[in-house]
Amino acid sequence: METTDLTPHISSRFNDDLEAVRASLLRMGGLVEDQLRKCLSALSEADSARAAEVVRDDEHVNLLEVGIDEACLRILATRAPAARDLRLIVAITKAITDLERVGDEARKIAQISLRLATLERPADRYREIRHLGRLVEDMLHEALDAFARMDAEAALRVPQLDRQVDEEYESMQRQCVTFMMEDPRQIRRMLDITWAARALERVGDHAKNIAEYVIYMVHGQDVRHTRLEEVESRLRGRAGAREP
Amino acid sequence: MWVFAAARLIATIAIGLIAGFAAGRLWLGLAIALSLHVVWQLTKLYRLDHWLRHRGLMDPPVLRGVWDDVVTQVARIHRRKRHHKQRLATVLRELRESTDAMPDGVVALDARGGIAWFNRMAAQILHLQGRRDIGVRIDNLIRQPQFARHLEDGEGSAPLLLHVCETPETWLSLQLLPYGEGRRLLLIRDVTRQTRLETMRKDFVANASHELRSPLTVISGYLEMLATDPALDAAHAPPLAEMRRQADRMAAIIGDLLVLSRLEAKDEQPEGEPVDVGAMLALLRKDVLSRPQHPALVSLAIETQDQLKGDELELHSAFANLVDNAAKYTPADGHIEMRWWSDTQGAHCSVTDTGPGIPAAAIPRLTERFYRVDAGRSRATGGSGLGLAIVKHVLQRHGGRLEIASTEGRGSTFTCHFPPGRVLAAVRRV
Repeated sequence: METTDLTPHISSRFNDDLEAVRASLLRMGGLVEDQLRKCLSALSEADSARAAEVVRDDEHVNLLEVGIDEACLRILATRAPAARDLRLIVAITKAITDLERVGDEARKIAQISLRLATLERPADRYREIRHLGRLVEDMLHEALDAFARMDAEAALRVPQLDRQVDEEYESMQRQCVTFMMEDPRQIRRMLDITWAARALERVGDHAKNIAEYVIYMVHGQDVRHTRLEEVESRLRGRAGAREP
Repeated sequence: MWVFAAARLIATIAIGLIAGFAAGRLWLGLAIALSLHVVWQLTKLYRLDHWLRHRGLMDPPVLRGVWDDVVTQVARIHRRKRHHKQRLATVLRELRESTDAMPDGVVALDARGGIAWFNRMAAQILHLQGRRDIGVRIDNLIRQPQFARHLEDGEGSAPLLLHVCETPETWLSLQLLPYGEGRRLLLIRDVTRQTRLETMRKDFVANASHELRSPLTVISGYLEMLATDPALDAAHAPPLAEMRRQADRMAAIIGDLLVLSRLEAKDEQPEGEPVDVGAMLALLRKDVLSRPQHPALVSLAIETQDQLKGDELELHSAFANLVDNAAKYTPADGHIEMRWWSDTQGAHCSVTDTGPGIPAAAIPRLTERFYRVDAGRSRATGGSGLGLAIVKHVLQRHGGRLEIASTEGRGSTFTCHFPPGRVLAAVRRV
């Protein structure tokens, strides 16, 4: 329980401020998740109205990023937080950048689906894209859940999913190339699909980043650019060392 | 007991005094005797304290005298407390077990929206984790923007239909119920089956109407051709005319069914475009007057220049249905009155007729599809039976409601109420 509670402060206003900024980050996360879900269904159902909606709502995501950034700066300037609180604020300022990028990728997919909606839909309704999208959605969801619960262990699962996403993306690319060689008239569409898959793969990377911020926030360890196994053993070691 | 204690103290003092007197040092003897007494009592106090500290592990000590009394008292209080605790624990366990057996998810929220407690079903649906999620704000875990809005709008609002990421195939209905001071209970129900059935029903009506339309068009076309055929036997003309009338009526019913299913399919309220209701009513009045048979007096009272934000086509079909009904049921010497006014409660539009009126028992059912007050009326007027259902749906989508007042034999008044948020105040001309 103490992992989810922010450390108690003499000034409860400070606590409220931290809690509020974290809640607004998660709210932005919810909006971005929604955008991702919508753009994927717009793609698979060739729903151009929904795609246009995603493109329009990206503005909200951007505004939220600016607002949260300002709130973080204000806390840094007026409260001079230290240790855990400082790590929380730093993690939030980083996470909103990643979330904003995810929003951009969702907009990109929406624009692609606007273009694809004018073409005939393939019989499988972009099965591969939907599968990849599902994986990436889960990743983002897990990463944000870990943020909400300050759960470093759950955050560790996200990079594992990222490997799966990378493999999936790889095989999709190969498949697209095969289709292009079989039928050169399809090249235009296949390129678009590759772009959408690429955007999803990027979303996976951003989700992984967010999960890494959670680990940083809870354990104070920077685990970027570190191999997964090493991260795990390092965190295990720390946890073991802490218990007498 | 206390008598014994006092006697013992006196005896100690006496012995001290006697011993002191014998030794020739009276006060020293007394002091030694009292000190021994104090040490002896302190030992007992120490044993009592030791027992109290390790109460769970030890049997009560045998201390004799007043101390035994104290030990018995403490042991009794302790026993009673343990009994209470056990009873409370049993009640709590039973409560938890019974809520866990509930088929719906329940999450109790504190004043700032943090999770205070939840039952097993809620944990299963939302993937909440044991103790870890106690205190986490619910909107940090259910992050859908609609849910955040729902949480802010507060209680009393209709349940929210939502997919959650953990179980994407199921439809959940989330409802907030207030209790205690600022606390809320979140009820989560799996409504996948109902939602699916409802969608199937709507789809069925829409598809069936569509499918019926094309054959009907063919029939009407041939009927028209036959009716204008000069070679046709004169005896066939009346049945043909009747067939055409019935075909037209069927087309009207199907048209209304399609309008209704379109209204149902759009669940969002239309974005506000200012609609000039006054002008719309004036046009409708002209329509009535241009009918071959119309009531003698059709009056229009436009008391405000305010406009209404809404969908013009939908509003037109709603008002047209009301006016059409009034015209149908009002005799030639009757009177129809249309009114459009606004006040602090919003804007209102009413249509009053001097027709036969509606029995009070029938009024609540009037907006049901195909409901007829009596079988005779349908044939006489030839309506589709869907007009008031359309009116009700249009009003619902505009946040308004329909009020029906009627006296049998004297006439009826249908009033549309629109909320203030939909009213666009008129710009005063200088």
